[in-house]
Amino acid sequence: MAKILGLDLIGIDSNNSVSIKPIENIILRMDEKYPIADYYPHLIVSDNIISLDGKTDLFVIDPFQKKDTIKRKSKRGLGLEISIASTKKLNGSMIGRWIKEVRLIYEFCKSNNCQFILSSGATSINEMVSARTFESILKFMGISPKNYWKEISEWLYSKDKVRWIYVKP
Amino acid sequence: MLNHREKRRYVAIMYEENSLFRPIQLHEKIIERFKELFGILHAELAMLKLYDSEFGNILFIGCKLKYLDDLLVSLSMTQPSLTVVRLSGTLKKLRKNVATLNFRNIKNNAN
Repeated sequence: MAKILGLDLIGIDSNNSVSIKPIENIILRMDEKYPIADYYPHLIVSDNIISLDGKTDLFVIDPFQKKDTIKRKSKRGLGLEISIASTKKLNGSMIGRWIKEVRLIYEFCKSNNCQFILSSGATSINEMVSARTFESILKFMGISPKNYWKEISEWLYSKDKVRWIYVKP
Repeated sequence: MLNHREKRRYVAIMYEENSLFRPIQLHEKIIERFKELFGILHAELAMLKLYDSEFGNILFIGCKLKYLDDLLVSLSMTQPSLTVVRLSGTLKKLRKNVATLNFRNIKNNAN
């Protein structure tokens, strides 16, 4: 499905599920480092500001939440992820506000060396978002898709490099 | 007067197999969202049209090329969830492209 949607890589939640058999082009998302992490590329993901620490690679942020604590706790190289899924239930004016807040987060990421990440927030195949749609959303928010893909690739590459040192053959 | 025909784009959209909505209702929801985000005028100018896809849970929507980005944004922010699987300049090509995607296999792999 990812190929159909023009996506080179997708992240899926693992949370220590033994049934998951990671294949190429998949990055596991986990709330803490599980044994499976030794074998596959993974990111430590958190959506709780209290549990946000140096090990966290990615913090899922709600654009409407207060950003003061995040500003204090975020470190260089942290990914800040915003999910599009939450917009589906918002009305037009709230989407306008959402866009404004996301734009502020993007600017924050730029000035603090954090990685801005836009995700579908999909929990099923029907909720996935194509690469072309991502580009339209980015353009809509005034973000250059070309720069976005370049930056996110570099960020992922840097994460992979760190993780793959410990990968067992 | 110039006989100028504006370019259009056709989008194949996958919706949930067990959806309570029929394609025409989904089309209305998309237009409603488009109007909310980009206004009534742009929705009219975009000329969003629903086409019969002849595939199970796939619907085709055509719009003016100029408003394609707006349509894609609207689709991603519409409830129920809709996924753009293919995009083309002609309906004929779009049908051909969608036919090459084996959706039965995709759903099985996803499970």
